[in-house]
Amino acid sequence: MINANLKNSYAADERVLNNTYKQMFVYGMMIVLALFTFFANDYMILIASQMGILLIAVVGINILTGYTGLVSLGHGAFVAIGAYSVTIFANLAEGIIPAGVMPFFAMPFAVALAALIGVLVGLPSLRVKGLYLAVATLAANFIVIFLIEEDLFQPWTGGMVGLTTHAPNFFGWVLDTKREMFGMIAVIGFLALLAAQNLIRTRIGRAFIAIRDRDYSAEILGISLLRYKLTSFALSAAYCGLAGALLAYFFARILPEQFELTLSLNLVAALIIGGMGRSMGPVFGVIIVVLVPELIKVLFSSAVGGSASAAQFRAPLQEIAFGLLLVLFLLKEPLGINQIVDRILRAANRWPFARG
Amino acid sequence: MLNIENLHLSFGGIKALQGINFEAREGEITGVIGPNGAGKTSLFNVISGFYAPGQGRVSFGGRDITTMSPDKRAALGVARTFQNIALFRGMTVLDNIKLGGHTRLQTNVWQALRYFGAAQREELELRREIEERVIDFLEIDHIRKFPITMLPYGLQKRVELGRALAMRPKVLLLDEPVAGMNREETADMARFILDVQEQFGTTILLVEHDMHMVMDICSHIVVLNFGQQIASGTPAEVSKDPAVIEAYLGAAA
Amino acid sequence: MGQFVQFAINGVMAGAIYALIAVGIVSVYKATKVVNFAHGYLIMFGAYFYFTFSVIIPNQPWAPEWLLSWQPDWLVAQKADLPMFSPMGAVLDWVSNLPRIVLGLTGALIANAIVGRIIERVLMRPLMGQSVFAMIMVTVGLISIMSGTASLIWTADAANVPFLSPSAPVKFEAFGTTIFLLGTDLVNMVLALLMFAAIVAFVKFTKGGIAIRATAEDQSTAYSMGISVPKVFSRAWVLASTTGAIAGAILATRNGISPSLGLFGFSVLAIVLMGGLDSYVGVLIAAMTVGVLEAMTQWKLGGSWAEIVPYVAVLIVLIWRPHGLMGQKEVERI
Ligand SMILES: Nc1ncnc2c1ncn2[C@@H]1O[C@H](COP(=O)(O)OP(=O)(O)O)[C@@H](O)[C@H]1O
Ligand SMILES: [Mg+2]
Repeated sequence: MINANLKNSYAADERVLNNTYKQMFVYGMMIVLALFTFFANDYMILIASQMGILLIAVVGINILTGYTGLVSLGHGAFVAIGAYSVTIFANLAEGIIPAGVMPFFAMPFAVALAALIGVLVGLPSLRVKGLYLAVATLAANFIVIFLIEEDLFQPWTGGMVGLTTHAPNFFGWVLDTKREMFGMIAVIGFLALLAAQNLIRTRIGRAFIAIRDRDYSAEILGISLLRYKLTSFALSAAYCGLAGALLAYFFARILPEQFELTLSLNLVAALIIGGMGRSMGPVFGVIIVVLVPELIKVLFSSAVGGSASAAQFRAPLQEIAFGLLLVLFLLKEPLGINQIVDRILRAANRWPFARG
Repeated sequence: MLNIENLHLSFGGIKALQGINFEAREGEITGVIGPNGAGKTSLFNVISGFYAPGQGRVSFGGRDITTMSPDKRAALGVARTFQNIALFRGMTVLDNIKLGGHTRLQTNVWQALRYFGAAQREELELRREIEERVIDFLEIDHIRKFPITMLPYGLQKRVELGRALAMRPKVLLLDEPVAGMNREETADMARFILDVQEQFGTTILLVEHDMHMVMDICSHIVVLNFGQQIASGTPAEVSKDPAVIEAYLGAAA
Repeated sequence: MGQFVQFAINGVMAGAIYALIAVGIVSVYKATKVVNFAHGYLIMFGAYFYFTFSVIIPNQPWAPEWLLSWQPDWLVAQKADLPMFSPMGAVLDWVSNLPRIVLGLTGALIANAIVGRIIERVLMRPLMGQSVFAMIMVTVGLISIMSGTASLIWTADAANVPFLSPSAPVKFEAFGTTIFLLGTDLVNMVLALLMFAAIVAFVKFTKGGIAIRATAEDQSTAYSMGISVPKVFSRAWVLASTTGAIAGAILATRNGISPSLGLFGFSVLAIVLMGGLDSYVGVLIAAMTVGVLEAMTQWKLGGSWAEIVPYVAVLIVLIWRPHGLMGQKEVERI
């Protein structure tokens, strides 16, 4: 890093976007996103919205797994809690809270509830590490989905048939097109990413990383493992809850099966592929995890046309591709795409003085 | 300042500590020596709260801290370095040292997510303090942005000391700070330790095998062997103690 | 009381099968320190292989007729003068199926052993020495690969597979009521427990088993003692996939063939952690406990609540005893 990196104050040195490349990149992205919202076609809006929703959840997983080093294979449950509680809250509060401000109550409620349950699920993390935690969270995921489907709660959750969510209404502006919805997802997603990045460079984020790297050494510095592990769980669950709320709004229809283990594994896989514990990791990972199956779909339909008997091979192929991708990254590039991008950027930055 | 009373600790059958008694006096450097496996690191682990003693008391500034959790002890001002460097390998030197300031900072989750405002003010204040009090002091300004893994062993030890200093400790436990260092590095480290004592008035507890250094800088020495405290006193007293000579010659033979 | 005994016995029979599945996870963990999240999918492969060799192949036009249904003269003669639904009839039906059952089991064992070996060789071995997290996540990736592969290969609608043993009902009086069981369930239970015992004995007493235990203790020491660690790894995976094949065949006869068989592995994973991960005894206790609790839940709350019993149980046990019922806590050295 030869250029663009000279600082003359601590404040300049402590900024997130601490060189001109990063600044240009971020401002550029904002412009691209704004243009995209207005000019992209419906199909692209659909794909990008999926990415945005997933991104928020993966940023949450990054806080927990990437930075704090706690593995969860059950965060799909928090997406479910976010999606269901935003809908159920709106259903129950209908008539009490005016429709035009409902999202301002329903979304925070959904996020807070997810965070609260996140603390509960995180409790075993105080006593068990690694693998045990992975199984404990996986168990929690099964239990949450089971309760949603269970007859007992069916009057609220809709059981196996799910629920319909009304489009969000901001002071009379109803987001009834996918394009408007994407605008909302893009803004919230951008802020969520920025907030996570902020968090990581303050004492709280440093405490998370310290726990990940060496927990006893963190304790000796006065970091309470209890408090920070639970905080990390709560934050990651809150991010997933927010993603769930947006997902419910976007698709307008939620079913319990959307939030099963597959989703939880997708979230972790996206993080691994993108780069764990790196701020842009979730972005790269989500792009891959959404685009690859989509690509297979497109290639497949152009290869076999509309043949129904061939179409049944598509889903399994997507599944296999997903698994292979995860395994390949773990074997060949465990630090994810972020690492590849870093390498390229470093090389570009030195060029033409040195190569490699 | 730091009082150890009748401390016992065992792991299954191994008696790691058997009736340790001494005081680390305020503002002084107290040495803890003994052959390998004598229980020195275990003693530190009890003082910093990782191992619960079977019997005995640890008190700090008159307060009983025997059952307090490690992070609470840290907040009281107990800092330490480890025999096998325990830095955070995923971070830069600067971030490692910043972690030393953790307990003094106030930023909560909300402020952290927003950053601008309270969190930023506090971060910049911490940065300034660390630059002056730690980075300049330990002469590590040239490596502040380096990841830990890129540093040679001696510098890693120094950064670990820096992280402990950033805590503004009242008592500092150093577990073999110069082990594996060459002459020059050892002399540097000894100088830093003396400077810490002089400039900040920190009470220091030092485990070390390098006898020259221990005899030079400690005002009081405690000798352990097989978990037992076989002697304590000034460097001159201890070096004449027959039990100590026996233990060291026995270990060397 | 009679009801209670009936459900308790059902629970123990289910528990024995859990134990058989669990043994695969524990063995791989002991040897390689990898917890195989995809073990349920190995079971599913076992079930599909059993289906392939006992149903699909015998039904092929080129397959000899006796393979599908063996009807020697003496059998036909015996059958002719039996009343409907007699126990003897069930035994004779089983004898007719015997050729395809044997082919099914052998085929499933061999095919699954090959799958286990391939997984070990291609995915797990390159990861030796990597973090536990990476290895676990590879098995998570394996879930998708195996589940996708299974739906590519086995597209045909699954039909019924032959029971491993005669399915005659067994009735007896106890505690004032009639206890009703299926013969095949009893045989499955005995088979599962015998295999469990055989594997424990193998690991405890044979040379190969001792190599596994030495590797579990300390890989580098095992190396220096002349144990071939890679061989131990592949042996453990083959052990897991072959026990998985039998368990898969049993499950195929009990629950039918479907991709959801893979999910079974997750409940067993919960059981394994409850038991203590590397303790065979602990895992056996956990398997039996969960089996019985499930049966009781089914009795009192209905079948759907039984689904989450293993998950609730593992959470309770982990909060109470973080290293499982019989697992050992390691004091971390600082
Ligand atoms: N976590 C532990 N578990 C079991 N034994 C331990 C543990 N920590 C230390 N010991 C034992 O306690 C004794 C003292 O060790 P230690 O305090 O590290 O000695 P020193 O630092 O003086 O070399 C040794 O016999 C060591 O094996
Ligand atoms: Mg030591």
